[in-house]
Amino acid sequence: MSDAAPRPIDRRMFAGFLRQHRGAAVAVTGWSLLEAVPALASGLLVAAALDRGFLAGRPAEGFFWIGLLGAAMVFRALMTRTLTPWLGRLVEPLRDDLVTAVAAGAVHRAAAGARDTAGSGVARLTVQVETVRALVSALLRSARQLGVSLVMAFVGLAALSAPVAALTLPPVLLTLLLCVPRLRVLARRQRRQLRSEEALTAAAGEAFDGIRDVVACGARDRVAGDLSARITEHRDACRAVARTASANTLLVALGSHLPLLVLLLTAPRLLDRGALSVGELLGATSYLVSGVAPALRSLVAVLGSWGVQLATVLRRLSRSTPTTEHRTPGSSGQDLPARTPRSPDLSLVDVGYAYGLGAVPVIDGLSLDIPAGSHLTVVGPSGAGKSTLTTLLAGMARPDSGRLTLGGVPAADVDRAWLHRAVTLIPQEAYVFTGTVRDNLRYLHPEARDADLLASATAVGARALVDRLGGLDASVGLDGPPLSSGERQLVALTRAYASQASIVLLDEACCHLDPSAEERAERAFAERGTTLVVVAHRISSALRAPRVLVLDGDRTAVGTHGQLLRESPLYADLVGHWVSAGTS
Amino acid sequence: MTSPQRLVWDATARTRGWFVLASATAVLGSAGTLAFPWAMARALDAVVARRPAAGPVLVCASLLALVVATGALQTLANGGYGSGTVATLRGSLARRALDAGVPGTADFPAGDLAGRLSAGCAQAGAAGVTLVTASAAVLTSLGGVVALWLLDWRIGLCFSLGVPPLVLIARMFMNRGSGLFLQYQETQGRISALLLEALGGARTIGASGTAAAETRRVLEPLPELSRTGHRVWALQRDAGWQVGLLIPAVEVLVLCAGGLALLNGDISAGQLAAVVGYTALAMAALDQLDALFALGMSAAGARRVAEVVDQSAPAPGTRPRPVAAQGTVTLSGVTVRSGSRLVLDAVDLTVPAGTALAVVGRSGAGKSTLAALIGRLREPETGTVAIDGVPLRELTPQALRGAVGYAFERPALLGTTVAGMIAFARPDASHEDVVAAALAARADDFITRLPRGYDTPLPDAPLSGGEVQRLGLARALVHDPAVIVLDDALSSLDTATEARVDSALAAAWSDRTRVLIAHRVSTAARADLVAWLEDGRIRAVGSHAELWQLDDYRALFAVDTGPGTAPDRDTRSGPGAEADPDARGTAEAEADHGTHPHANPHAQESV
Repeated sequence: MSDAAPRPIDRRMFAGFLRQHRGAAVAVTGWSLLEAVPALASGLLVAAALDRGFLAGRPAEGFFWIGLLGAAMVFRALMTRTLTPWLGRLVEPLRDDLVTAVAAGAVHRAAAGARDTAGSGVARLTVQVETVRALVSALLRSARQLGVSLVMAFVGLAALSAPVAALTLPPVLLTLLLCVPRLRVLARRQRRQLRSEEALTAAAGEAFDGIRDVVACGARDRVAGDLSARITEHRDACRAVARTASANTLLVALGSHLPLLVLLLTAPRLLDRGALSVGELLGATSYLVSGVAPALRSLVAVLGSWGVQLATVLRRLSRSTPTTEHRTPGSSGQDLPARTPRSPDLSLVDVGYAYGLGAVPVIDGLSLDIPAGSHLTVVGPSGAGKSTLTTLLAGMARPDSGRLTLGGVPAADVDRAWLHRAVTLIPQEAYVFTGTVRDNLRYLHPEARDADLLASATAVGARALVDRLGGLDASVGLDGPPLSSGERQLVALTRAYASQASIVLLDEACCHLDPSAEERAERAFAERGTTLVVVAHRISSALRAPRVLVLDGDRTAVGTHGQLLRESPLYADLVGHWVSAGTS
Repeated sequence: MTSPQRLVWDATARTRGWFVLASATAVLGSAGTLAFPWAMARALDAVVARRPAAGPVLVCASLLALVVATGALQTLANGGYGSGTVATLRGSLARRALDAGVPGTADFPAGDLAGRLSAGCAQAGAAGVTLVTASAAVLTSLGGVVALWLLDWRIGLCFSLGVPPLVLIARMFMNRGSGLFLQYQETQGRISALLLEALGGARTIGASGTAAAETRRVLEPLPELSRTGHRVWALQRDAGWQVGLLIPAVEVLVLCAGGLALLNGDISAGQLAAVVGYTALAMAALDQLDALFALGMSAAGARRVAEVVDQSAPAPGTRPRPVAAQGTVTLSGVTVRSGSRLVLDAVDLTVPAGTALAVVGRSGAGKSTLAALIGRLREPETGTVAIDGVPLRELTPQALRGAVGYAFERPALLGTTVAGMIAFARPDASHEDVVAAALAARADDFITRLPRGYDTPLPDAPLSGGEVQRLGLARALVHDPAVIVLDDALSSLDTATEARVDSALAAAWSDRTRVLIAHRVSTAARADLVAWLEDGRIRAVGSHAELWQLDDYRALFAVDTGPGTAPDRDTRSGPGAEADPDARGTAEAEADHGTHPHANPHAQESV
């Protein structure tokens, strides 16, 4: 784990990786060449053992050459032993880097508000990284060895008998040449197979995620049918790959077997001319039968499956971490020194914001002062921009027009670290992560003492929950008991209370609590003297607040509950519906 | 538990044809491969002795042709067999996961299930092909050993001496591998789960500026993953190197014996080449070490699949709905446990046909569980849930779905487009039906503002929680069953929209039985009947007006009491309470918290 900052997965990353792990790369190359020495020497030594030893009636010399062959092979075993951990030293850090890049990219992009990071698709990226690891190690374990052995076998063959090498090399080269276009076809079909697998996994994830709805809608058979169609489609794609691979096998067989037949057919003439001894013939046969043919077959097979898969998966991974930096607020204003506001007074003057160019503004010409320590409740119909307002106030997005200032300093120029300490936003979907209760509660104020955390829990009404979970040392998240939405919100509220923020933004942060629990939490914040902005889930929040903002385009209004009842028909409507419903 | 082997074997039986072809070609290929060194020896001897070599070379060539042809066929058959097995396993896993329904997803989160479907089944399904290929390879190797014995018994003996240690090492390797792989997969899965968790808290992370810290937290298991990875490499090194030492020792022994036999004239030069060839074939079984790795992976994958397939799934019933069905829901003595906790305790409740029943109670009282029972999304441990007198478990799935429908607090976005989502429960619904339902649920206005209106693919539709709820309501409207359960299905709507949607729903479903799970007093007030749940028991059933006389009942909505209802309270609590009516509500609520300190957390409410 090197760095938690996001970076793209691209050529530069791999180049950097190789530079950083140059030692391991050089070691692997070096040991590989040494490891292939027996492949180079085997035929030569067999030929010598026969010609100078057993066929010449000198068994001792025969044993000597064969002993030499044995020594070469022991040497190879030693090289393999030394080499294997080096492969791990390349593969494991590569996996670490890829996982880090994927996780950092996903978390940062999601935190910056990118929409495409939602869902399990991103989490599946970590699985693809695993695929890369498996493929790279497989390729390093076999293709590397096969390639080196193939070359070494030909070097040895050439050293043994130049004419035989000249006769047998062309079919091998021709095969390799013909294989290139065939591998492309294979690659195309494998990509189709991967795509169908991905579509299947996505559809399955969606169906399993919504299993309650699938059952409730009586769609079990339909969804099962759809999944089964996708399963079949993937199976057929696999079989198409197998057909191509099968055709390729025929081609490769030509290249690996022809040389031996050529040798057998031409050997009588070579023997007659004295260009070849019996020992050399047997040595050459051993090169071809146990060196060239298997290496060529395996090499093409390995490249055709793992190599193509690796290329595909890497391409997909690199697409998931785009090189273009996401627009982060404050990043472009870096030529100005970051400023620290004197007071946490918020002020909006004619602020406008739209989700993208050409979209209808969500917030348009909003002017509002939120002095330090004041309490404001925001109400309005769904989609009126209540959440967007909190996003702007938290500095997570910048207004497209108008001025948003914090203690007189434009929000964009405020020191980010100061902003994160001063402003706390609790969204509707409360975030509880794997760790202890303590970790979760002191998330925004890491130095907080246990007593303060417990006091915060008591203040917002989460003490019973903390006690039930087993205190601050208890685990939550993956290692803890499942929490209800309301319980998660209590954790998030305690966290916000324990922070030292002077501005607390509750964006429907109590919507899963019952009304009494909601009131208790809101009152706790109001009594603490921090600025409190509540996006109301229930109208009762508005009744508690000294000041209410009704947000709805040009019907926006600010005032007390009483004022708004008189002056804002929309507010009267919102409250009225509730009142009539409550008393009917 | 279904054994992983059994699972793979059953799947094999379903792809019998391919399996037979794969096995047959593997055996034929082995035979050809085994015959080849012998043919080559004859050809070489002919060449060396200057005899006419055309015949023997032709035999060589035809044997090679056989090997090549069977090889190509085997590749084809392996593809057919492997993909068929994987597809069969995936099919059974998907069906079982869907049959196990909501309770099943508690044991296996959706992401995990999808992972088991894609990776687990793929690994398990590869077992058959690996076994066939590996068996053929081992068979070929055994043939090679026999050939060595036949060529010269001393050569055979030399070879056989080296085999037992090799087998021992291989066995050790396999046993140590499986646990390590499982550990690796688990650590890797944890990183995925942590990442998914962090992505769920994107807005909190963004607002707190903690992306870097979160990334570090997600990557916390990475060093352990790395350590396990290095241990796998160490395992490969140990096994690889020991095997690598034994192989040359055996080869050298065999070559020496072969050389001596050649010297004595017991074998010919060509036969010595055959000895080299057969030794290589006999040794080739060791290449199957990787197959052992793969089998370890397959076993781990098959276990993961078996865990899902072994889940119990409720058996579907066989009875149709009674012809004169009205939609009366009856719960008798229904008890539900979640682990050791009693969620519902011997609940008896009748919802008369055509009435709207609101279920109220504090968080954790068991409301959502009750809702799930009515549509058999969950089975009670004891007791019966019946519609029009027929227990749900006796109804056919079709009858059950025609009888009960749902709208949820957080509906899942299923169906590819927005229109598909609305028509998900009734795919044959006309576009007019879909639009009408969307209009009633007040979803039409935001749908028409989407890039492609009703045809917008769901992933491209930016939807708020309230908008998704309205799509869920429209879906329930299209479904239109006899009994409709609204599980907090209007909670994310503002009160103005809620009131409009509610009257539209009331109009559309005036004759339907409705069960409304709600936190808002307005919902209870609009219902015909209110069932008040407390700690898994029915505390009272009555009209909202009747129950409103009870202090504890009002305390449920304490903070929700606004100016409109305050006078009602004032008359009961006397003068002086007006100054701080809400504080009293809070005090009551706290007293209640004191006696039942959130003792019943409600996991299922977050479903």
